[in-house]
Amino acid sequence: MNQGIKKCFKLAIPLVFWLGVWQLAAWAVGQPLLLPGPLAVGGRLLALAGTADFWLSMGATLWRVFLGLFWGAVLGGALAFLTHFFPWADAVASPAIRVVRATPVVSFILLVYLWIPRTAIPWVIAGLMVLPVVWGALSTGLRSLDGKLLELGRAYRFSRWKQLRLIYLPALRPHLSAGLLTAFGLAWKSGVAAEVLCPPDRAIGSRIQQAKLGLETADLFAWTLTIVALSLLLERILRRGLERGNRT
Amino acid sequence: MIKLENITFRYGEKLVLDGFSLEIPDRGLTALSGPSGCGKTTLLRVLGGLARPERGKVDGLDPARTAFLFQEDRLLPWRTVGQHITDVLPRSRRGELPRWLAFAELEGEGGAYPSALSGGMARRLALARCAALGGELLLLDEPFAGVDPARAARILEQLRGLGVPVVLASHQAPVLAACDVVIKLDGPPLREARG
Repeated sequence: MNQGIKKCFKLAIPLVFWLGVWQLAAWAVGQPLLLPGPLAVGGRLLALAGTADFWLSMGATLWRVFLGLFWGAVLGGALAFLTHFFPWADAVASPAIRVVRATPVVSFILLVYLWIPRTAIPWVIAGLMVLPVVWGALSTGLRSLDGKLLELGRAYRFSRWKQLRLIYLPALRPHLSAGLLTAFGLAWKSGVAAEVLCPPDRAIGSRIQQAKLGLETADLFAWTLTIVALSLLLERILRRGLERGNRT
Repeated sequence: MIKLENITFRYGEKLVLDGFSLEIPDRGLTALSGPSGCGKTTLLRVLGGLARPERGKVDGLDPARTAFLFQEDRLLPWRTVGQHITDVLPRSRRGELPRWLAFAELEGEGGAYPSALSGGMARRLALARCAALGGELLLLDEPFAGVDPARAARILEQLRGLGVPVVLASHQAPVLAACDVVIKLDGPPLREARG
């Protein structure tokens, strides 16, 4: 059996098994309102995918998640350098970042709901979840940098920019990749959760909220499946991109 | 002459140099020899401004205008052989890359990464990078460790041809024999001038 067929079986067998379990459970419950079967959900998913709103909602959610990932990563990275090199910055910022990391996302969502426009809440929340993860990963990386290479940079009269470009950034790349992968998952989940609790006009979270209010359980399942599929797909793309970057 | 006067240096509790004074010629090749732990590396680091002595001073040398070859190669795993050289050259001197690859006898290896180099090749690259950086004085700590003697002799002659004074620490008898002055650091410093 060739590798391609083996790979298909490896993917298809668990998928068929769990779809079967789901269908059996749906028959056992016997109430589509509580647990619709996979065929009903698949039908709804296909119907939703035929509407412009489905794709626009997906695009809007993606935009917010990536905006959150971007600002959280940039600020988290900058803070990691700041707290590593300046003890006063470490004393001031590190406890605050740890508090952000320990605070439940729901508390943040409900708090920022009072302070900022509803459309901005998902990307602000996603960024807040990303920031401590990237900060933590880069802080660990900075602490583990090879002191001998840093001494080389100083002894060979490299400018600060050159030290950053030739020594710091390449050495930190594996830490940043690991941090970004974890952060992406968090940004995705927290961003959608924020959309559900504070629904903007167009978003996957808003559609989930509508489906819940309208007791459209099949739609709820269809949107959830969309989120899971998108998350897996984007994580795979991100992982491949980061791995390629680490190799070069 | 580069003068070290009354240099005292310790690593924690361990006294490495105790009121050490020495004059080093500011031309040609000068070798520091002596057993491991006698202070050769420390002396080079003091000359290069990488270690600050507890007491004493260095005259006739600006540490900021020296180039230092560390005992370890300290290559960057993510930079190619060629990039290691161009990284230390100002933009106006980037065209010198082939000359420095030839210096290290690494022609044709410009695109290789350090992981693909043998120990001797890596050492030669580190040495070429240091020489390309240049300055008023080259300070070389065990420059030919792992380099075969014939190559070491050729590179040593190229170093002499640069016209920049070199102070090196070495254990290797052929390297010491090729230097103009050998300073033995086992006990009070002894100078042995050649040629």
